[in-house]
Amino acid sequence: MSSSPIPAAVRRAPLYAVLLVGALLSVGPYLLTLNAAFKRPSDLLSTDAWAPAHPATFANFADVWNQYGMSSFLLHTLGVAVIVTAGQVVFSAMAAYALARLEFPGRDWLFWGYIATMMVPQMITLVPLFLMMRDLGLVDTYAGLVLPTLLGTPYGVFLVRQHFMTIPRDLEAAARIDGATTWGILVRIMLPLSRPILATLATITFINTWNNLIWPLIITNSDRTRVITVGIAALQGQHASDLPHIVLAGAAIALLPLIVIFLLFQRHIVRSIALTGLK
Amino acid sequence: MIVNIPAATRPPAADRGHPSAEPPTPTDGERHRRRSRIRTAVEAYVLLAPSLIGFVLFLLVPIVGVVVISLFDWNLMGSPHFVGLANYREMAGDSEVWRAVRNTVYYVVLNIPAQTVLALLLTLAMNRRMRGGKVLRVLFVLPWMAMPVALGIVWNWAFDPQNGVVNQFLSLFGVDGPAWLSSTAWAMPVLASVNIWQYTGYTMLFLLAGLQAIPESLYEAADLDGAGPVTRFFRITLPLLRPSMFFVLVTNTIGSFQMFDTVYVMTQGGPGGSTDTMNFHIYQQAFQLFRTGYASALAMLLFALILLVTAVQVVYFRKRTVYDFS
Amino acid sequence: MSASTRRILAGAATGALLLGLTTACGSSDSSSSNGTVTLRYAIWDAVQKPALQKSIAAFEKQHPNIKVKIELNAWAQYWSKLQTQIAGRTAPDVFWDHVAYFPQFAQQGVLTDLTPYIKADKLDTSVYDSKLLSGWQQNGKQYGLPKDWDTIAQVYNKTMLKTAGLTQEQLSGLSWNTTDGGTFVKALQKLTIDKNGKHPNETGFDSEHVKQYGLALSSPNGQTDWWNAATQNGCKLQDKAWGKWTINQPSCVQAIQFVRDLRLKYHVAVPASVTNTPNGAALPAVMARKQAAVVWDGSWDLNAYQSSMKGNFGVAELPAGPVGKGTVYNGLSNALYAGSSHPKEAWQLVKWLGSEESQKIIVATGSVWPGIPTLNKDFVTVWQKQGVDVSAFSKEAGDTTIGYPLTTSSATYNVKVQDAFNQVWLGQQSAQKAADSVNEESNAAVK
Repeated sequence: MSSSPIPAAVRRAPLYAVLLVGALLSVGPYLLTLNAAFKRPSDLLSTDAWAPAHPATFANFADVWNQYGMSSFLLHTLGVAVIVTAGQVVFSAMAAYALARLEFPGRDWLFWGYIATMMVPQMITLVPLFLMMRDLGLVDTYAGLVLPTLLGTPYGVFLVRQHFMTIPRDLEAAARIDGATTWGILVRIMLPLSRPILATLATITFINTWNNLIWPLIITNSDRTRVITVGIAALQGQHASDLPHIVLAGAAIALLPLIVIFLLFQRHIVRSIALTGLK
Repeated sequence: MIVNIPAATRPPAADRGHPSAEPPTPTDGERHRRRSRIRTAVEAYVLLAPSLIGFVLFLLVPIVGVVVISLFDWNLMGSPHFVGLANYREMAGDSEVWRAVRNTVYYVVLNIPAQTVLALLLTLAMNRRMRGGKVLRVLFVLPWMAMPVALGIVWNWAFDPQNGVVNQFLSLFGVDGPAWLSSTAWAMPVLASVNIWQYTGYTMLFLLAGLQAIPESLYEAADLDGAGPVTRFFRITLPLLRPSMFFVLVTNTIGSFQMFDTVYVMTQGGPGGSTDTMNFHIYQQAFQLFRTGYASALAMLLFALILLVTAVQVVYFRKRTVYDFS
Repeated sequence: MSASTRRILAGAATGALLLGLTTACGSSDSSSSNGTVTLRYAIWDAVQKPALQKSIAAFEKQHPNIKVKIELNAWAQYWSKLQTQIAGRTAPDVFWDHVAYFPQFAQQGVLTDLTPYIKADKLDTSVYDSKLLSGWQQNGKQYGLPKDWDTIAQVYNKTMLKTAGLTQEQLSGLSWNTTDGGTFVKALQKLTIDKNGKHPNETGFDSEHVKQYGLALSSPNGQTDWWNAATQNGCKLQDKAWGKWTINQPSCVQAIQFVRDLRLKYHVAVPASVTNTPNGAALPAVMARKQAAVVWDGSWDLNAYQSSMKGNFGVAELPAGPVGKGTVYNGLSNALYAGSSHPKEAWQLVKWLGSEESQKIIVATGSVWPGIPTLNKDFVTVWQKQGVDVSAFSKEAGDTTIGYPLTTSSATYNVKVQDAFNQVWLGQQSAQKAADSVNEESNAAVK
């Protein structure tokens, strides 16, 4: 915006103060959780939440990891999230290319069909999906856990399709003349030009799968398929009052990996969120 | 939560969904062209196949399924009894359902304005070159990816009447904080605060992009006309932000209507049913009481509600947006 | 087909393979190649898990071809989870069953009738308490073997009781009434201290800052709190077995009101905001934090008190009400899932858990009162060695008791009652209204 004669630093001091408070509020819950997870059980109950963990202990993490099954929850969640993410990126890109570039009967119907279902709340499909998985014998299996989202969501297809639409057609036309196949064009031209959006879709899918509670809550029911959301929700239900240090360490372990992933990809994601409005 | 209202991202245009297409095939003869068209169609459907199978099997079939199940009385075991519209009739007279609708709307109303206004203020503050701007932006977006279940646990602990950080903090000022989650007045605002915390930064990021797309020349012209900052905000910034705003409002609203995780972890719908939202009530009917048919009817009600609210937003924004762009 | 489509097909095949693998991983647990069978055994009480593990270790030694995996889900999730498992046809082979859900499960055909197994193995069922054994029968079929029995009593902090100048005998001999609370409230007043050292019956008592409460109560359904008071006031929860709920009768509502008054009128019980929210503090945790001197709790929690209080607790009888003494008497069984794919092995487990040998192991850990009455005295001895006299539980079992209502509507009752009654304990709804609404909704669900 336009300049002003008052020194910028002075003019902006209050602004910075407000923004810093905002930033602190944004990060505060993370920091408090982490801090609490490092406290000894007795300190957790006797000190203020903002008092630093001193002496810090790693025992809470070790306990929740070894004795309360966090290691297996994490492993299951990681496996499910990686498989679903891989599936969604691959299958969404394939479908998106067909919808963006290939002429075929029924294309517009399909495209609008996809868009029309984006507003359907997850609760709608829950009971029928459960019944379907039951009849397929997939209740309490990884297959049952990943199947409903593995093949992609209308949203993912839409996202990639919109990006493909912005890629100039000349590149493909040139490749076609050189004898490239459809698959070759998709793999060698479209995908390399779409890395940011694919990284974004991958991250979003990973986050959504990682954070999903309701589907695993219903479709899985034993320790061997238990994912982290269901695991820590159960931990909270059982031990919130007698072992808060364990429960908070569990929450911290559930929160941190996504922050790491986000920080790794944040340049792509911040830009993509801004451009596409992801949620 | 994956929702998107693409129609809103751009002004309505005639060629939406009809990408101009010249099939890039060599042109030696009608027959050849037809063969290549068929080949393209086959290729297209092969590419689409996995996605389409998922779409039909895990989305369309369940949607039809839920409509059918809503006409039955069924506990998932034994045989279903056809009851026609009885579930819908029961729903109409069920005070707990209407309480759940009220609670859901209340949650949305607590959420959306607070989130949007905070995000807008943050956007205005962030919309300038400054030291540390990029870092701040990342910090503000950090809440967005947090696991709601874990947040529920953290909030539960933070709002504990005895050992919670909120009441510890209030006691610094000599204030005795209430037992937040046992209070029918406070429980829902506390739940809403999770979502406000989580999505304000994300909303800001999106609005910021919208803001930066506004041409500087418009502001320069306004300066020439002697417009003050307030006038500039209401006459230029806000109207031109409307498309972004629309998108953010619609998606955040749809998301808010489906809140489940935090209720499940924090309050289980209590105290006194004050946080029993539609999604939680449906879950309870379906997977605690196993009234599957009734739960399916409730899911239809939720869907209708979301459609209604979205339609209202679309109509409202379309009317306003047309005026402003003309 | 072109090379590209072939590649795509190859990709799809890889995907399918991947799926197949995950499916295989998901379902390969129940029986492995060398002929061992893994049984799933569902329980809800973490306090009892160590004792059960001991028993199961002995079982696995005797049956080298059977492995048992305990699946623990807290009470709050257990029933929703179990019913979802049943609906999904993936229920555990053996699970803890409860009188509250037994009728519904029997009706749905979810449980295996054990009679043929009992006959084939010539199992002597006369060793069980007949009251417990018959609790798991319906239409001449036996749907489980008794695991244990329990009653509710007052668990107290020895030091706190002594400081207040009270003895275990005095605590057992108290009585309450609806006019002034009786000797019960008087004793609790002595045990309740605010931050200035004042008691609730003294002027200047600060009810907002209480350091130590006389009593803590908490229950998801009433078993460990108001059902006992209700029995002591002559209230019946049901008009008859398989009949209607009657919890809105005056005798019941008075008892509910009295439990509410303990918190909100006499200020001698820990506020419901601490103990009764969905994530509220469990009673042993309240005692461990020294927030209360006395709790009403079931015998199954003894080991939880032992682990945090190390013998510094005792057990006294519940007070008498206007009508007399009374407590909730209940027991669990081990049930065999009708859809189990290893019914023979599962029966071996059910039989073992019901056997004297297993129940002796459990009793030796002080976990729960046994389903075989001849072992009761061993249970008393185990706790005597820890310096705790647990005879109040068995004495109460011989007095007036009520059991869980026999009804198919327990799922509805349990889902509705917790939130509705917490509102009463918080002072946000009247006892009558809450009782009316829960009564009506539960009766509507009777099938």
